[in-house]
Order: sequence, then C-alpha cells, then structure tokens
Amino acid sequence: MDPEIVPVLVEAAVKIVIVFGVLLTTVAYMTLAERRVSAWIQDRRGPNRVGPFGLLQPAADGIKFLFKETILPPHVHKVIYLLAPAIIFIPAMVTISVVPFGPTIRLFGRDIALQITDVDVGVLVILAFSSLGVYGVALAGWSSNNKYSLMGGLRSAAQLISYELPLGLAVVGVLMATGSLRLGDVVAHQAAHGWNVLWQLPGFLIFMTAAFAETNRLPFDLPEAETELVAGYHTEYSGMRFLMFYMAEYANMVTASALAVTLYFGGYNVPGLARLGLPGAAAAALQTGAFMLKVACVLFVYVWVRWTVPRFRYDQLMNLGWKFLLPAALVHIGWVAFIVLAGWA
Amino acid sequence: MHLLTGLVILVIVYALLRVIFPGRRYLPGVIVGIAAATLLAFFPRDLFEMQFWAGAVGFVAILSALLVVMHPNPMVSVLFLILNLFCIALFFLMLQAQILAALQVIVYAGAIMVLFVFVVMLLNLRSEEGLRVGRGFGRWAAIALGALFAGMMFTAIRGRGVRPFFRPGAFLDGFGTARDLGDTLFRDYVFAFEAASVLLVAAMVGAVLLAKRRLQ
Repeated sequence: MDPEIVPVLVEAAVKIVIVFGVLLTTVAYMTLAERRVSAWIQDRRGPNRVGPFGLLQPAADGIKFLFKETILPPHVHKVIYLLAPAIIFIPAMVTISVVPFGPTIRLFGRDIALQITDVDVGVLVILAFSSLGVYGVALAGWSSNNKYSLMGGLRSAAQLISYELPLGLAVVGVLMATGSLRLGDVVAHQAAHGWNVLWQLPGFLIFMTAAFAETNRLPFDLPEAETELVAGYHTEYSGMRFLMFYMAEYANMVTASALAVTLYFGGYNVPGLARLGLPGAAAAALQTGAFMLKVACVLFVYVWVRWTVPRFRYDQLMNLGWKFLLPAALVHIGWVAFIVLAGWA
Repeated sequence: MHLLTGLVILVIVYALLRVIFPGRRYLPGVIVGIAAATLLAFFPRDLFEMQFWAGAVGFVAILSALLVVMHPNPMVSVLFLILNLFCIALFFLMLQAQILAALQVIVYAGAIMVLFVFVVMLLNLRSEEGLRVGRGFGRWAAIALGALFAGMMFTAIRGRGVRPFFRPGAFLDGFGTARDLGDTLFRDYVFAFEAASVLLVAAMVGAVLLAKRRLQ
C-alpha cells in the first residue's frame, strides 16, 4: 500500500463522518422545525413538551420508531420490499458529497477543501444520483403488492421523469455562465461576478419548482396523496423502514436547498467579507455559518410553501411540467446564452 | 490477484451450496462469509490495487448480465440490468472518462431504466413469463450467433496480447473532462452529432405517429 494515500483516506473519512453527522442532525431537526412552523402558521402550539421548546422531540420520535415492529406483510416481494427503503435512502445521502460548504482551509499542514470531493462533473453527479431516488419509490410501490402503493409508485415515476428535464435545463443556465460543471467553480464565479439569482431569476424559479416536485413535497406530493392513495408508496411500511422513507425525503430537501444556495445564492461566500480583513480560520467559520444560514432560509421556504399552497391535481401537474416549465426553461437557456455571448455577464 | 480469484471462487461455491442445501438458508452464507473474511485477512494489500477493483467490477458486470437473462422474475431482471449499467459506468470512471460515467448513470440507469421499470409495473408480468426460451430455429440461431460472438471476442483479446489494461499515465491531461468531450463532439464531429440528433427526432416523430393512428 502507498503510504501517501493514508492521510488522504483519513481526511476523506473525517469529512464524510462530519458531513453525514450534520446532515442527519439537520434531517432530524427539520421534522421538528416542520411541525413547529406549521403550528405557528396555523396558530397552534406544536410539539413543545419533550425538552425545552420540544427540542428533544426528534430523539423521542427516533426511539419510538426503533421500537416499533417492522411488519412484513404476506404476498410482498420480500427482497425488493426490504431493499426499497435503502435504495431511496442512499442516493439521498450521497448527493451532498459534492456540495462545497466552505473555502479551502489550512489544517495540520494540509490544504483541506471544505467539501467531501470536488469532482469535475459535480452537477452531473447530483443529477445522476437524484434521478436514482425514483427507483426506491417505484419499487416500494410495486413490491408492496397493494394497489394504493402501486398507484403511488407509478405516479411518482412519471412525476420524477417529467420534472427532471426542467430541473436539468434550469441548471444549464448557471453552467453556461460559469463555464464549468464543478460546483467549486460555480461558487468562485459568483464570488467574483455577483450571485446568479440576480440575473437568472426565472431559472431559479424553474429550478425551485422542479426541486419541489423532485422531492415529492407539497404542492407536488401526489405519490402519497392521502385523500386518494392512503399513504401512497409507503402504505405497507412500518417502523424503521418507514422512518427511512421519511429521512430520505428530508435529506433530499436539505440537498436540494444546499444546491439552490450553491447554484444561485453564491454558496458559502459572504459579500464584503474580504474588506473586514478577518484571519483565515474566522473567515472560513463565518462562511460556513453563512452557508448553513442560507440553506436554513431555503428550507424554511419549503415548509412555508407546504402549509400555504394546496395540492395540484395530476393533470395540472403534468401540464405545468411539460407545457409550461419545459418551454420556459428552454427560453431561459436562450436568454442566458444571449447575455453570455454579448459579454454582459 | 489472489483475493479476486478467491472471491470469485467463493461466489461459485455459494451458488453451489444454495443448490445442494436448499433447506438450510443461512448455512451457505455463514460458510462463505467466514471464508471471505479469512481471504481478506490474508491478502489485504489487493484492496489497494486498481486491477483488483477492475476485475471485481467486471465480475459483477458479467454475473448481473447473466442474471438479467436467467432470472425468472422480469422485475428482478430489470434491477440486475441497472446493476450491470452501473458496472459499465464504473468502468468509464476507471478509464478516467468521468463525464461518460455520469452520463451513463443519468441516461441509462436514471432515465431509460425507469421506463423499463414503469412498463414492467404497468404490464404486471408474472414470474414464469420471463423464462420462455425460444424453440426450434430461434434457439439454434441464438446459439450460433453467441458462438460467433464468443469467437470474435476471443480472437480480439488474443490479438491484443497481454498488456497492462490500466495505466493512468497513458492519458493526456484533461482527458475525459466535460470540456474535452464538448470539444470533440461540437468541433471535430459536429456533423455526425447533428445527423444523429436529426435521426433521433425523426424516430420520435415516427413513434408518435404510429401510436396515434387516427390523427385529426
């Protein structure tokens, strides 16, 4: 074994543990934040009994899920039924690995980028893994051997395919402005030329709408529309496996928010930070904090929209995706290309 | 390469044990698991060799390709096809073609295979229907074509001789990046690229026309 590879592996392992720890904690507290904010929007109190302000509620929920029985209904396809939650959970967790959450810092005599890995095709990696999540949903629906589950799975497959296109095309605008697929370059470009959202607002709105649909959130949560489909694709699941669907949904939300911040809101950079003249470590900490704050703001919008906009009908969903968002995204690409070629960007 | 050979043998042993002891479901797994752990303890260095990983991915690719054809359940076949496409993406990655690897996952594993899953779910095929083997002429034609292809592969591999198939230094700087691929596609081969896209659009329009016979 090459002795040079050991510090590289150690660095990668430490970063992976920290990032996934933070991601899972965020996911746990998103469930609490969602309930508290929804209570606030509806003029209720929400969960406030477990710990101060209900802060221990996620721990209580997690323990409760762990002790629930995992029911294996008869007539399910056993292997696929047990595998489906993992298939949806893994892509949801992996995607965060290419998102930069801070600048490069110097620690223990090594330059450490605050990002698990800065691959050359970062945006494509995200699109690739987010498109894999659909298998978990479709297979969960199919293997449950339940017509509500199957309907939920089919709907979800159709919905995710429809909204992947506008999502990808909206991102193309950002990539054309940057001239690179590397997310680190996207952030650096915005630090130098201003945030993308300032002149690509239509692209941002298309991206966010498609991201809502891709994460199965209201107003696009038709795969689990409880008034028609009981609970959709996870009707038959219980205990820990049900929890995995839930965690995957929230992890997808966090990743989508982090991606929106990285692509449109300048990632981790803070305007005017260079003028303050802070030492490197403090500046890095401030930038990482700013990144998390921005992500939290986008997450709040997610919750806010959920409790404001009612669910779409299925034909409305398809019409919006194919007849409005897709042409709009194409026009937006033309507009961005024009600006980039004219040299105004 | 001892580790890889050992693991391949273990997979075969596992399959045989499952056939010999159909009643005892956990016994083969336990035996093979202990053997695999022993192998890992004896040859841990192989894990850091590129050739080990290339061989392992290749073995999984072949195994999954076989299972696509042989598994009785169509849905499981589709899943193994996805696994197979993943292995091919990993091959691209090992050849430093990052963008091809990403596109392989997006286009094949992500988009096309979702449609396969969709169709299998909609048709709701039963298990036996995947197992229909062609009879008479079809079977013999398949055997002949397969033998022909195997012979072709054999001569191709023989002709190349034994060379190190993975040499990271052999690639130019910037090989396989998005920029490189874009240059090749939209500068050197722009006509072929556009011709292929026109062909695809024509095929799509044709398919829509065939599906909707009675257009107003």
